[in-house]
Amino acid sequence: MRCTQAHELMTATVDGELSLRQQRAFEAHLTDCAACRDERTATERLLAALEALPMETEVPVLLEQETLRRVRIAAAEEAERVAASRWWTRLRVPAVALTALAALVLVIVGRNEVGQREAELARTPAPVAKPAAENFARTRAPQTEDRLAAASEPAPVAQETHKAPQGPPPALAARPDLFMELPILRNMEKLEHFEQIETTTVDGQPRSDAAPERQRG
Amino acid sequence: MKRRILAILLGLQVVLGPGAGLARAQYGRGWEQLTPDEQRRARENYERYQRLPENRQRFMERRYERFQALPPQEQQRLRQNYERYRELDPGQRREFVEKYRQWKKSGK
Repeated sequence: MRCTQAHELMTATVDGELSLRQQRAFEAHLTDCAACRDERTATERLLAALEALPMETEVPVLLEQETLRRVRIAAAEEAERVAASRWWTRLRVPAVALTALAALVLVIVGRNEVGQREAELARTPAPVAKPAAENFARTRAPQTEDRLAAASEPAPVAQETHKAPQGPPPALAARPDLFMELPILRNMEKLEHFEQIETTTVDGQPRSDAAPERQRG
Repeated sequence: MKRRILAILLGLQVVLGPGAGLARAQYGRGWEQLTPDEQRRARENYERYQRLPENRQRFMERRYERFQALPPQEQQRLRQNYERYRELDPGQRREFVEKYRQWKKSGK
């Protein structure tokens, strides 16, 4: 997925509207793209703030102007940041390719070495080989993979979600309706006033040909 | 008087009509009564819910209570509007969100 596609799906993803496949592609893009991660956070905040905004609040003109000024400044800074990071983006692809190639070479070399060691071990009597291996496991200094494993302790929760579907978690089983209707709950205000919003123009005026709203929640 | 009786009868038809029955039937179902597709969607939404901050989760709980308290025909109307919203393409959806922002700002 590219940034332009991710931006197009930004509102939909915050609304929880993407299909699982789209959501996975989107999340995969976000793991590599800090700019889109920031964009999603900003969109989430914006929509959450909008929903939380009391309807009767009149925004003071000065506050609105100040907010818009800050938004413009932030947008300009973001544009500069993106432009500055482009050279790095260009370098990143070859860098990733080289890293992948180096990793591949290491794996191949490592396998060969392991194969040789296994062949040597097979020739050596078993009682000698086993204590040596245990000793190594007990005495070796903490390795990178140990540290990584320790750092990613919460990971088992994420991994569990990829297991084959079993029974639902208790919270889900207790109230499946809540989760069935979650997209509606997330957008409830929009949906309650859908007709009225739809007939509003982007400059905030209701369309002259707008039909009167059917029902107001 | 006749009008009043007619209005009551019409109201009863809306509340007890086939659409309302469907809306009621969709609620209060246990996990086992959901279709496999509904179970999949509920599970996906559950995972999304788990990723929400705690205050957002509480917000959703309150909305759920409010939604359940709505009359069945109003629930049905929201579902229909949701389908309309879902069918908007990304550009239309952005436009809708912008209109929503404007609508909200105007404090209607």
